Amino acid sequence: MEKKTLRNFLICGLILLIVSLFPLVSNNFIIRFGTDILMFAIIASAWNIIGGYTGYASFGNVVFFGIGAYITAVLMEKAGMHFGIAYLAAGGGAALFAVLIGLPVLRLRGHYFAIATLGVAEAMKALVQNLEITEGNSGIYLPMLDLSIQGQYYFFFYMMLGTLVMTLLVTYLILNAKLGYSLIAIREDEDAANSVGINTTLSKTIAFALSGLFTGLAGSIYAYQQAFLKPGPAFTVHTTVKMIVMAVFGGMGKLFGPLIGAFGIEIISETLSNYFLVAHTLFFGTVVILAIVFTPKGLIDLITQRKFGISYFVENIREHRI
Amino acid sequence: MLLQILINGILKGGLYALMAIGMSLIWGVMDIINIAHGSFIMLGAFTTYWLFTIFGIDPFVSLVFSMAILFVLGYGVQRYVINYVIRASAFITLILAFGIEIFINNLALVSWSADVRKVKVAYGAANFSLGNWVTIPTIRLVAFLLVIVISLIFFYILNRTNLGRSIRATSQDLDAARLVGVDVARTYAITFGLGVGAAGAAGTLWSILFPISPMMGGILTLKSFVVVIIGGLGSMLGPIIGGLALGVTEAFGTNWFGSTYANLISFTILVLVLIIRPKGILGGAD
Repeated sequence: MEKKTLRNFLICGLILLIVSLFPLVSNNFIIRFGTDILMFAIIASAWNIIGGYTGYASFGNVVFFGIGAYITAVLMEKAGMHFGIAYLAAGGGAALFAVLIGLPVLRLRGHYFAIATLGVAEAMKALVQNLEITEGNSGIYLPMLDLSIQGQYYFFFYMMLGTLVMTLLVTYLILNAKLGYSLIAIREDEDAANSVGINTTLSKTIAFALSGLFTGLAGSIYAYQQAFLKPGPAFTVHTTVKMIVMAVFGGMGKLFGPLIGAFGIEIISETLSNYFLVAHTLFFGTVVILAIVFTPKGLIDLITQRKFGISYFVENIREHRI
Repeated sequence: MLLQILINGILKGGLYALMAIGMSLIWGVMDIINIAHGSFIMLGAFTTYWLFTIFGIDPFVSLVFSMAILFVLGYGVQRYVINYVIRASAFITLILAFGIEIFINNLALVSWSADVRKVKVAYGAANFSLGNWVTIPTIRLVAFLLVIVISLIFFYILNRTNLGRSIRATSQDLDAARLVGVDVARTYAITFGLGVGAAGAAGTLWSILFPISPMMGGILTLKSFVVVIIGGLGSMLGPIIGGLALGVTEAFGTNWFGSTYANLISFTILVLVLIIRPKGILGGAD
């Protein structure tokens, strides 16, 4: 077991090293594409903490993304703060919001939790559209990053990479601590978890706050990268959809599932948009439908089970159809 | 003035109720949250638009066509797609519905472009006054009455027919229903068809009253959620109460705070109702 853990760590370190060196050998277009993949990997992994491990399928996680982005914009533009401070404040603010909203909303289960979080995100979007400090629907500008063009590409890539590593590391540490077992116990049977003495409210709230924290950090980097924010795109439900689809596509409740999902989905949709200028979103919908029908347990299940071929898909359908 | 706002709210609330009846049925019977619901409403609206534009068929006549077409479409989607994953966690069907939504919306976008269109009927602006202080747009009143008729038909189907009994039995206990000879796969497909058919009807009425576009579905799905949640699942009265409540609250809210606050009001109500009474106004105690 010890040996296996060590081996896994070495593999992860090696992959991380390759990814870190990657920008040095590629052009700016590809670096930007890589940055996008990393961003989706962060928010999908953050969603995985609450949706995958705890079993609370949040349909409003984009609210943390939007809050992180807007905290960064307002602090930098209106208060003239440094990005570093705004970045931390964005994560902290999103986590705090998760705690405040989580206390009432995490009492709901299943679909009701999903719809409530969706409602929170939509309400927050409508609020930001009407607030003066966020400059409403006309959008807010951020100061430009004072670096060369090349430097900017590097900066955002490594910020996203660092945040992703932090997200996965914290998730890994949680999984090996008491909290991780509590979360999985809640997912499997919350009443039972409660009756064996797990403080379910506290565990759920911490999971939701961590999910909010990392999503907020990604939102912060995104805002600085875009240099211009509007409430519509910043709080769009499509971001939530994407993070969930990625987590499910890769394998939810698995540490690297969302990362694999983000990579897979982004590559697929980018390839499709290269070949089909107009209709690529149509194909994207098809990919989601096929992926859900044939591999509801995610790509990571396909990889770790090493069961390729038709029988794997047939088995999945047999199990879930009526 | 206040009476006028109230009436406007009730008339719009009727349409919200019709939007939500289908969603509530599908959710209540099969535990599927149909994220694509708004897209089906959009398809109903466009069915009416094309029948009107190409063949000059009156929207109130094409109501029957759009319900029928959407029923068949819904039946097929459930039978040949959703039924294959229905036993996976409810969450999986939810994402599948997301995929269907993306597919339908973009198919519509590619085929019909993002243009905003209107069904311009000759009698669109007709209205009449009650006393001297309330004006009622005729077309909205007719639409409202149709909503009541359609709701009654649904109520009849669910409570007084063999099909309704099969649907209710399946909803209570899938395996038991199958044991007593209900064709579960077919019942599910018909239920989804009925729900989507109701969405088609809502789309037709929507297209007479408001502009339509391929991307109109998203916000309508969200509003249907609000209505279903306010009313609670499990009865035909739920969506009607929920729809009227949302319509009236929105009418007064936009009057007092301005129209940019309409969404903020709807979604705040949604979250508050969920926190305070998760099973809806009509729902039993938790």
